[in-house]
Amino acid sequence: TEDYVFVKIAVEDFLLHDLYQLAAFADRQKNADRLKEGITVMLSLVELRCRPWLNGMELLEDLQRNKQTLSSGDKGVDSLLKGGFREGQLTELVGPSSSGKTQFCMQAAASVAEKHAGRVLYLDTGNSFSARRIAQFGSSSETSLGQKVISRISCHTVYDIYTMLEILQGLDVTLRSQVQTNVNEQRLRLLVVDSISSLITPILGGSGSQGRALMVAVGYMLKKLAHEHSIAILVTNHTVGAGGEGVKTKPALGETWKSIPHVRLMLSRDHKNSNCTISILKHTSMPSGQTVRTTIRKDNQQCV
Amino acid sequence: MGEGASEARGWIRGDETAKQMLSRVLKDRAFLLLPPLHRVPLRAGNVVEVTGASPAAKTQILIQAAISCILPKTWNGIHYGGLGKLVLFLDLDCRFDVLRLSQMLKHRLLQANRLGNGAWWQLEESNVRNCRSAHEKSNTAFDEELYVSCMRRFLYVRCYDSLELLSCLKTLHYRIRQQESCGSQVGVLMIDSIGAFHWTDRLSSSLAMGSHNRKSLSLTNVVETIVLEIKKLLQAHSLVVIATKALIYEEKYPTNENNRKFSSNDELSGNAAIKAQQPPFREFMPSSWQAFVTHKIIIRKSADHHSSQTGQESLSAYSLEWLQPQLSSIDQFIVDDVSKNLSQPLQV
Repeated sequence: TEDYVFVKIAVEDFLLHDLYQLAAFADRQKNADRLKEGITVMLSLVELRCRPWLNGMELLEDLQRNKQTLSSGDKGVDSLLKGGFREGQLTELVGPSSSGKTQFCMQAAASVAEKHAGRVLYLDTGNSFSARRIAQFGSSSETSLGQKVISRISCHTVYDIYTMLEILQGLDVTLRSQVQTNVNEQRLRLLVVDSISSLITPILGGSGSQGRALMVAVGYMLKKLAHEHSIAILVTNHTVGAGGEGVKTKPALGETWKSIPHVRLMLSRDHKNSNCTISILKHTSMPSGQTVRTTIRKDNQQCV
Repeated sequence: MGEGASEARGWIRGDETAKQMLSRVLKDRAFLLLPPLHRVPLRAGNVVEVTGASPAAKTQILIQAAISCILPKTWNGIHYGGLGKLVLFLDLDCRFDVLRLSQMLKHRLLQANRLGNGAWWQLEESNVRNCRSAHEKSNTAFDEELYVSCMRRFLYVRCYDSLELLSCLKTLHYRIRQQESCGSQVGVLMIDSIGAFHWTDRLSSSLAMGSHNRKSLSLTNVVETIVLEIKKLLQAHSLVVIATKALIYEEKYPTNENNRKFSSNDELSGNAAIKAQQPPFREFMPSSWQAFVTHKIIIRKSADHHSSQTGQESLSAYSLEWLQPQLSSIDQFIVDDVSKNLSQPLQV
């Protein structure tokens, strides 16, 4: 008769131990072969979990085939970002209050819905979403966006970070189970979170690790969604006082958050006129520091 | 007696001469010069840590070092000066942009081509003087086949948490063996960036409900296992490890170029010893990782560089300083659209 050894171990335990030590330990036991078989099975399970290694050419192919560039709706920003927002990337827009961040987001949503015929998921944290305003962001100033285009944008009001995590997890499940028949037809292309800092700031208090761990978890979930489902993600952040020499304000959410977005843009507004300046704080394939001037679109006016 | 004597003679004679041993060791464990980290020659088994606040062009440094590794030494008569080995890129930040790698590689190939075919280029130029296609020719004057073979030497995987990272490291040995059986050798293992899951692992430490027999998924355990797995890899294969590390604590007193100038004045007043002992940043990695690292570099942001050549208003400028081994010179570099330019080192 064979002895069955039931060992209650989780994959995490397995990953934390030295394989050679485990094998040596198994050797010392009575049923060394069975134990070693078990170790081999665990190793093959671990290998199944691993993602395959891709080489540079395969990465480029995935980029060119699946990750398109979406126009932001503003010509200046598009030329600054060499096309616009890239699917698969997380773009952050930083700016002080009433600098036009929400307008920027709504303009982007309208642009993706109209020009790229893509669905947009808009998570609004401050009750500032307005369907009437979005309709005015069409490419022609004469007519507003039609019903068909507006219906591609779905808006959810989110008041805390846990609701947002639920929505993101649900979105992941939905997108995984959908069968992609035609890649370009009505798929989700843009996810907007306006503003993500109002969801994260309440949990960041103190020096404990819980708040920052949750912030990092949200950041990685967004990046994973963006990469695996070829979605462009746009989030907004506010500014806080810098307290140092020279610079008066800096982006909120602290040092750890800086490593999360692919692209960080700074929006500043000249309140005397309706000029905005957008500058690149960080970009994965462009040097930072470049700026562009643009004008805020008022009601029924053309964008310069 | 005769047998014993011949045995003794055989034992004294040795397996190989000193020359043979030296040539073998130098081949296996050769010194690598990887720009922009070329100030200190690296050997297989070295672990280099590049620290900097975000953004600090750390990934750009990795990309440039990767290009030096994947380029061949020579190809079609043109000297590229690379190692011709594979690069394994572990993306823990999940922000890697392959376009940037592609841009910088093409730029390097063009540069080498121009330098290699200097005389030919001048001749060509006179022949095609007023031809518009000359500009196009300059853009495509690199070997497409070489470009593809170099890009194929860059291997990439991303990990979204510590468990995925551990899984990847555990199966890495077999994957490297698979590659070696195809004839390619691995030169560098890159990790971008090593502190990415720090907060998540710290949270796991505080939530750990493990019993005495179980090893809990804590920060120290995870980092110890990572160090152990990489050590085993280094024993089996000759490769260099380069890891970037982003700062997670804000520096209250950021050390930039101005502070350094003041400190040199303070030397006269005897404050030099105190300044030297002050760590340049707040270390957060556990001691098992700190002890594992053999070379350390810190990247700081310096004053914006006003480039008159390209006509751009301001480009970000950074300084690269070797902390371990400590060098007295600091390299300045700027990141522009096509490449990363290393300017003259600043003597401090």
